Amino acid sequence: MMTFLLSFCRSFQILWKNRLNQGPGLRNQTFSVLYSYFHFSRKERRYFSLTLPFLQNTKSINLLISKTISSRKNGKNRHRQESFVSPHPLFSAGTAKKKSEMLGYKKDQQHCFPFSRPVLLPTKPLNSEEWEKVKENYEQKDIFENWMMAQMIKYNCSIDIAKSLLSWKARKNNGIVDYKLLIGYLTLCVSQRQTTEVIDVYEIVKNRYKTLELEGYTLLIEGLIHSDRWREALILLEDIKKVILPSKKNYGNCIKGALLNQEMNLAWNLYLEMLNQRIIPTWETFQDFFDFAKGVKNSQFERRLLDILLYLRHNQMYPTEPFAQSIKAWFESIPEKKWKGESVTIHKSGQCSACGRMLESIHLNSEEYEFLKQRVLKDVLDGGDQYRKTTPEEINRFENFIKSCPPFDIVIDGLNVTKMFPKIRESQTLLDVVSQLTKQNLKVLVLGRKHMLNRSWRWQKSEMAAVQNMAYCFFADNVSEDDAFLLYATLNSGNHCRFLTRDLLRDHKACLPDDKTRHLFFRWQQGHQLVFLNYYPGKKVIFQSVLTYDTVVQTTGDSWHIPYDEKMVERYSYEVPTKWLCLQQQN
Amino acid sequence: MNTCFKVLRHFTRQSVLPFVPPKKGAGLYFTILHKHLSSRTPVLSYPNKENVPPIEKIDLDEWKNTMKSSLPEETSTFTTSDDSLTATREWIEMCRLLNREVPEHISDEDLKMIAECPSKKSKKKRLKFLYVKEIHKKAKKEKQERKRAEKDEIKKQKQLGNAEESESTELKNVYLLPIQDKAFKTAWDWRNAQAMMFGQPLIFDMSYDNFMPARDLKNTVNQLLESEGANRKNIDPFHIFFCNLKVGGDYHKELLNRYKEKWDNLLLTTTEKSPVDIFPRENLIYLTADAPKVMTTFRHDKIYIIGSFVDRCSQPRVSYANAKRLNLASERLPLDQYLHWQIGNKNLTLDQMMRILLTLKNTGDWEEALKFVPRRKHSGYHSVSIDSKNFVKESEIKKSFRKQSSNAWSRELWWCKDD
Repeated sequence: MMTFLLSFCRSFQILWKNRLNQGPGLRNQTFSVLYSYFHFSRKERRYFSLTLPFLQNTKSINLLISKTISSRKNGKNRHRQESFVSPHPLFSAGTAKKKSEMLGYKKDQQHCFPFSRPVLLPTKPLNSEEWEKVKENYEQKDIFENWMMAQMIKYNCSIDIAKSLLSWKARKNNGIVDYKLLIGYLTLCVSQRQTTEVIDVYEIVKNRYKTLELEGYTLLIEGLIHSDRWREALILLEDIKKVILPSKKNYGNCIKGALLNQEMNLAWNLYLEMLNQRIIPTWETFQDFFDFAKGVKNSQFERRLLDILLYLRHNQMYPTEPFAQSIKAWFESIPEKKWKGESVTIHKSGQCSACGRMLESIHLNSEEYEFLKQRVLKDVLDGGDQYRKTTPEEINRFENFIKSCPPFDIVIDGLNVTKMFPKIRESQTLLDVVSQLTKQNLKVLVLGRKHMLNRSWRWQKSEMAAVQNMAYCFFADNVSEDDAFLLYATLNSGNHCRFLTRDLLRDHKACLPDDKTRHLFFRWQQGHQLVFLNYYPGKKVIFQSVLTYDTVVQTTGDSWHIPYDEKMVERYSYEVPTKWLCLQQQN
Repeated sequence: MNTCFKVLRHFTRQSVLPFVPPKKGAGLYFTILHKHLSSRTPVLSYPNKENVPPIEKIDLDEWKNTMKSSLPEETSTFTTSDDSLTATREWIEMCRLLNREVPEHISDEDLKMIAECPSKKSKKKRLKFLYVKEIHKKAKKEKQERKRAEKDEIKKQKQLGNAEESESTELKNVYLLPIQDKAFKTAWDWRNAQAMMFGQPLIFDMSYDNFMPARDLKNTVNQLLESEGANRKNIDPFHIFFCNLKVGGDYHKELLNRYKEKWDNLLLTTTEKSPVDIFPRENLIYLTADAPKVMTTFRHDKIYIIGSFVDRCSQPRVSYANAKRLNLASERLPLDQYLHWQIGNKNLTLDQMMRILLTLKNTGDWEEALKFVPRRKHSGYHSVSIDSKNFVKESEIKKSFRKQSSNAWSRELWWCKDD
């Protein structure tokens, strides 16, 4: 009894809290109480959202539920694993997401109910009188047909019902169905793979209209590639090209059609054409190549698939999980070579845990390094107008200062570092960090602004003097950007020099002119940016070690290492995946 | 499915019902819930289902036959013309059938421009622009026609009425003829001529034409026109200078295009020189939103410079860099100090700036002046006296104001010390 009471109290408390979170309003109370229960345990919510109308049989639902639960379990384990082996606190996939969750920004708050207002759809084909009756009940008479079609597409109705709608409409409109409705019907047919219907519509459209627009073409291409008239999809693609650049989906579908019909060369030519137009293929297109190549034994085609992997390498693209699985399956299907694939994580030192090979180093070679240095000086610090970020006098002063000093080991962004701990006095943080670093006999440069030298309770003069004694300091004007100086000072000191800031430097990366330079910059940043792990005043400061290996698709001839995105982890654009696919030949 | 529902029902019953006060909403909610869980596909029930004989074969492919048979001519493939312009036109026509945002009529020039657009997105944008323009045009025309019809109606009735009353109306004894627009204009011109001689200068810096694409330049000129108009009608106008205005440059062309022959009669000074060449450097103040220093009072002995620049490509600190280069003092408006800023850029349009400066010049009242800041950008003034009913609110606002202003003060301090 007692325990029951206790549990009751606790649950009530939680409910009450939840109610407060949900927002005020007495009227909402019952809703929020009820809702909070769904919000609570995700399992229930899953049951709930699964009862959407388009899922048909119970078996599949049960299967889905068990799947989601198990995948959730896996996801949890994975998360736990990850928090231990996260190789870099700023750039590994999912960090930003986790951080934002920790700080309380919840992105996927589903504050609306899982289902909207029920939509009434017919369950069987209706005749004209019945359609008239339905129309009478609908308020906006002029868009009724299009609205009905949209609902049918949304809930994936059987095409017979749509057909009955069309024949009713045609009878009313002396045998003519307008283009919009036809496209709606086509959408429905394509999504349900009704190839004969697609061909019928294709015939009608072809005869009726001189030309179509993008949506019609896209749907026709998507529908036609599964039929034996798939070559006409290529003609449609040509038609699109006359007006507009075809989308990656158009190309992807044509490639798929060619692959389905064993036209490997045609598919490859389309792929090359696509790359020439600077369209980045979708993951599905890549995956199609690998999936279809499984049965084929053709050394030329094999080489082409490896070309695709190299393309991924050059563009710093990371495969999705299903694509990684296709890659693995294809490699393992090559006879006599005996590839073996495994999903692994990489050790901090850059050693693959499965095969023991070392991954490529993240460090730039001297040529790339020099190039990056010049670009940073020119585009980031100068940027075409020296007055925007600083002044020419200051650049001069800075260059003279750099020349007069020996190369540094660590460059510190003074303001960024000190502002990280709002409860601790700024100058004290700075002094702690600098004194610890200089104790290790490192040459430290502290970059800051001139206002740091002004006496105030946040910047104690004695502590600042101590800092200036221990390290080299450069104070920029208060209106200048110190990050640009930080980058240049680090780059100028050489490859061994690291920098300490929490800033992700995205705006500086954006100043760089092209993708290639940006990738170089990012690689350099990953390898040289130090980050605080932990710090209490007076205690030792712990830094996270930098990455030593490059996260990119790579090969040594008899092995491939391919980083890929996990399904459950949301990766931000400046992060890199932590999961790898390790492929090795076994002899 | 069944087990699912059972579990769920168990949960909801067990946990929710005790807390739920017997309310109408809850009951309703439950019925909806129940309905939803029990019937998976939403079903349309129509009234007399039983009466309709269900075994009536509906010809589902009827429409196809009619569609095929009603064809004008038989063609084997899409006969897209090779000419890209006509192809584009047909394409746009098809987009219209799908209710996309494309214009109904399109001129050859526009069509050419669309065909030359580099990307799909730019094409779409251009088409949408034309579409919106067309809609506005149409609406305007309709309105005009409606007004004309109304006027005609009134005229007709007047004529009918006049026929009877014409004898009774007499000429009224008036003191003035109705004041004409012309009289206003003369008065304004007098005032502006006076300003040209004795007025306080205000400079528009026109050196930004290569930072802007053509459409932004057009907007800038629009705003310049607007601000010039506001200045002209003011009781104590500024003497406007257009500095760095290159003859034959983009600005000059566009201004000529807008002002036409009036350009030469405008009561303002245009020059190719930079402001520092005309005025002593220490008297100039560059107004820019990036400036660290906040403008506290309007000074009648200073000359303010406004950069005529619409920055939609988000190039930060361009005008501030300009001020630094010329080694001028720079200031920004005290927007944060007076307003609860909510959304939007702190950059104001040129005519808003002009109106704010005019008000400051005439009254020196910041609150009055900052009324010209668009209402959508802020939620109110910091020191609120209107809201006297709500004491709690007022004290809160005051507190936040104090905090804000102390912040501002400290910020200003460390900036200032440095300069």
